[in-house]
Amino acid sequence: MRFGRSWFFLFLSLFLVLFFTNHLMAGEPSVAEAAKEAVAATGAKGSNIPWWLWPVILFGFTFIIGIIAPLSGVGGGVLFVPLSTAFFPFSVDFIRGAGLIMALTSALSATPQFIRKGLANIRIMAPLVCVSMVTSILGGIVGLWITNAFPAGKYYITIALGLVLLLIFFVMLTSKRVEFPEVKEQDALSRALDLSGSWYEPTLGKILEYKVTRLPIGLICFAAVGFIAGMFGLGAGWANVPVLNLIMGAPIKVAVATSMTIISINDAAAAWIYLAKGAVLPKIVVPSVLGISIGARIGAKLAVKAKPAFVKILVMGIMLLAAALNIIKGLKGLHII
Amino acid sequence: MAEKNQVHVDPANLVFAKAMEIVTYIGIAVMIVFGLLYLFGLSSFVDMKAAIAHWHLPVERFWHEVVGIHISGYDWFLKNLTKMDCLSMLGICILALAPLAGILAAWPKVGATHKVLALLFLILVVEYLFAIFKPIILPGVGGH
Repeated sequence: MRFGRSWFFLFLSLFLVLFFTNHLMAGEPSVAEAAKEAVAATGAKGSNIPWWLWPVILFGFTFIIGIIAPLSGVGGGVLFVPLSTAFFPFSVDFIRGAGLIMALTSALSATPQFIRKGLANIRIMAPLVCVSMVTSILGGIVGLWITNAFPAGKYYITIALGLVLLLIFFVMLTSKRVEFPEVKEQDALSRALDLSGSWYEPTLGKILEYKVTRLPIGLICFAAVGFIAGMFGLGAGWANVPVLNLIMGAPIKVAVATSMTIISINDAAAAWIYLAKGAVLPKIVVPSVLGISIGARIGAKLAVKAKPAFVKILVMGIMLLAAALNIIKGLKGLHII
Repeated sequence: MAEKNQVHVDPANLVFAKAMEIVTYIGIAVMIVFGLLYLFGLSSFVDMKAAIAHWHLPVERFWHEVVGIHISGYDWFLKNLTKMDCLSMLGICILALAPLAGILAAWPKVGATHKVLALLFLILVVEYLFAIFKPIILPGVGGH
């Protein structure tokens, strides 16, 4: 009960930050688009928010996301990108750039520990990343090209982001996690690359061995996921983990750790596209990375006591709302509705 | 007991993790320290108020309006490393190099035990270098 109330206040805080930002931006509680038009028409004077308050708002916003994300099973970028696109005045280019750097920082910080525990393995990572790195670079190029080459490009991206969020929502709704999948036989490719390993499982008090299979199918899935991650600046844990766990037979902890390693490499490659285009602004990135890093540490400690199912439902609700808002915003921008 | 539960981790994995960790720490430190100095008002390449007034624009128009330049490649911040925001960008570049550092550090150990994996690492390095140099050698491809 006590935790239910805590979570209620946490989510309420998140919405208050978003609502407060929107309200101050435009002088009235309308959607962010009206605010953007006001800013576009009048320059900095169109915003009621003093410049120094922006880093504080971003820090608070990402701090709350950082607490929520580890408990819900999605990366911080997956919450940051759609909510910022829906509520904040920044161009979707800068939001995707910041989302990518946030996902990269989180993944790079976690990966070395996972590797030392035996949970992540560069043998499994290498073939999957060879494919997904190419597609994530392509995704980054295509995403920036669409927003800059077409007058209404940003609205297409916003609608596509909404549709991807709907996809993530349904993946979260329907996918079942298998803690220790049984792999009876490896495919020839997985066997040749010796895609296996072991880790110490404290809940069972013993070392567990694992092996993965169906590498060719995994490669196709990772190609598609890499493209989406690069295009929208999202981490791809929401898709990587089910592919590794349900298709390739990796135990859930190994799937999560390997996914983090893959995200760190894919996002690092895609980041160069955003850096070279000037789509990474320290004013947005630095407070966001600080906020999500500190929040994630607190979130990881709360995870021991919290009820993940409850948090997951709330996060899914937020994602559904963000999906709807992004699609509506994109359709309005194209004057379809 | 602790000895019994000790997991054997391939040395190549450990070298990869160590190299990645060191470069990550350096990158985060540079990005955050200079980023905070920028936010506290020390010399900057992008004026804070101008950035806020234009950050709703697509990235190309943003740079045209705020600084009057066309961005393609990395020289716009590498040539301005006396500015705090550009130094913070350098930290992000270091972060983005961390996996490459891990791959290069682990490569000799991988090559000694597993030739196919060493070949995959070579492909990864080539892809990585393409990602870094593509904006310089093929600036227009896919971008405009």
